[in-house]
Amino acid sequence: MASAREERARVRGAQAGSVDDLEALFRVHWPRAFRAAYLVTHDAAAAEDIAQESFLAALRALDRFDRRRPFGPWLHRIVVNRAIDWTRARKLRSEVELPDSLPAAEPIRPPRDDVLAALGRLAPEHRAVVVMRYLLELTPGEIAEALDLPRGTVNSRLRRGLDALEGEL
Amino acid sequence: MKHELERVEIPGEAEARARTWAIVGGAFEERAPSTRPSHWPRVAAVAVALAAIVAGALSSPGQAVLDEIREVVGVERAERALFSLPAEGRLLVASDEGVWVAQEDGSKRLLSGYREASWSPFGRFVVAARRDELAALEPDGDVRWTLSRPGARSPRWAGTETDTRIAYVDRTGVRVVAGDGTGDRLVAEGGAPIAWRPGVARELAVAGRRSVRVIDVENGRTLWRARAGLRPTSISWSANGARLLVWSRAGVRVFAADGEQLFELGPGASPVRAAALAPDGTSVAYAQEAASGTQLWIVPRIRPDASAARRLFAGAGAFGPLTWSPDGEWLLVPWAEADQWLFLRANGNGLRAISNISEQFRSGTFPRVDGWCCG
Repeated sequence: MASAREERARVRGAQAGSVDDLEALFRVHWPRAFRAAYLVTHDAAAAEDIAQESFLAALRALDRFDRRRPFGPWLHRIVVNRAIDWTRARKLRSEVELPDSLPAAEPIRPPRDDVLAALGRLAPEHRAVVVMRYLLELTPGEIAEALDLPRGTVNSRLRRGLDALEGEL
Repeated sequence: MKHELERVEIPGEAEARARTWAIVGGAFEERAPSTRPSHWPRVAAVAVALAAIVAGALSSPGQAVLDEIREVVGVERAERALFSLPAEGRLLVASDEGVWVAQEDGSKRLLSGYREASWSPFGRFVVAARRDELAALEPDGDVRWTLSRPGARSPRWAGTETDTRIAYVDRTGVRVVAGDGTGDRLVAEGGAPIAWRPGVARELAVAGRRSVRVIDVENGRTLWRARAGLRPTSISWSANGARLLVWSRAGVRVFAADGEQLFELGPGASPVRAAALAPDGTSVAYAQEAASGTQLWIVPRIRPDASAARRLFAGAGAFGPLTWSPDGEWLLVPWAEADQWLFLRANGNGLRAISNISEQFRSGTFPRVDGWCCG
């Protein structure tokens, strides 16, 4: 993982137009962004989309980015909020009415992993809090700020999420 | 817990990473420098808008002049309705009420409420867009699937008998979805125009600010990129996938499938209003502004050295967009000021004009031809 100083230099370089610096930021932060999106959505295509769109959103806002702040949490906040929105939207509507004769794409394979299955039984908001705390290693205060929630709500969601996961695992 | 979350296996992670970097890196290279915009264009636009409002507020004598101009514009001996098409195939026509499928015998069916559409590669289906929805339909109007996407537009369908894909643009950028409406994903930042290379739906041409690039949607790689002068107004492949046409007001360019430039009109040429490549890619037609209106030109044989253009037609007002018949014999030339469609033989030996186009397609604005497919 890059040091904070090194990351600031990379952000400065990217703001000045350096593709190498942008690629370095991408190398460090994309895997976690993608993983976080996947753990919340449980859909690899959606996770790819969310991580991609979040990077593009970050790119669009790069010129305005305050270099004193860490890049990772800023990006991950975008990712997790989009992943929650996506998961909520999927629950609200069935997007696609499958036809009977048009060529089909590869079917989506359901996740088999135990952790994934256990996470999948949590509400998206609880899932997101667990992912932010234990994968992205944000503090409850940072999670509360990112999701615009009271800290007590974050703590209770974390506790309930962990209880549920412990039961499963 | 952290370890558990990090060891979850995610299918296709490496490929997703490569695709994403290709898009993010490409978007970074296309990124506009952050300069302060000038106020002059806005001032000029306001002035033009004010002039238009004043002109529009003219009393009935002013309107009478407009009507008179309309009456004297157009081909005199025009058919009063579209009784048939001069060549095989079916048209997609976008009007205020929706998209119409016009058959070879002149019969029409309305796909109500859609703003634009295009044909599937073999003309069996139509993909259509309205404000927040993309839909795949049969030409008789049966909806096969829909996808809710804010601001969905510019749908384009390509592929083979067994595997098809639809590219479209929404607020997030250029997206691709399988022919059955599944697997929707972002493939490039930016907006329309876009164009699939016919055949296996992998190569997609995407307009940039002053360029066009062709990307492989499987891995996001840019296969080639070329300068285009201004932002392209339209890009389209010839039906055989051999050539790519890119045009803007500043000029017309034709590229081979590997990116080699084969033809260029401009800079310095009169502004271009429309252009279209023949299905076999050997000819290009374009409409150019002239002192008295618009002139329609055809380059019968594109050559890298000196391609001789021949004038096919001229008239007041503007023509376009241009559409070739699937057999490459005819050009459909919409002429808004005359409320006519002209079917011109590409060899210059034939003209059919159809009047009352707006009324036939129940449209207050002049209908737009979105495609002529599959003879």
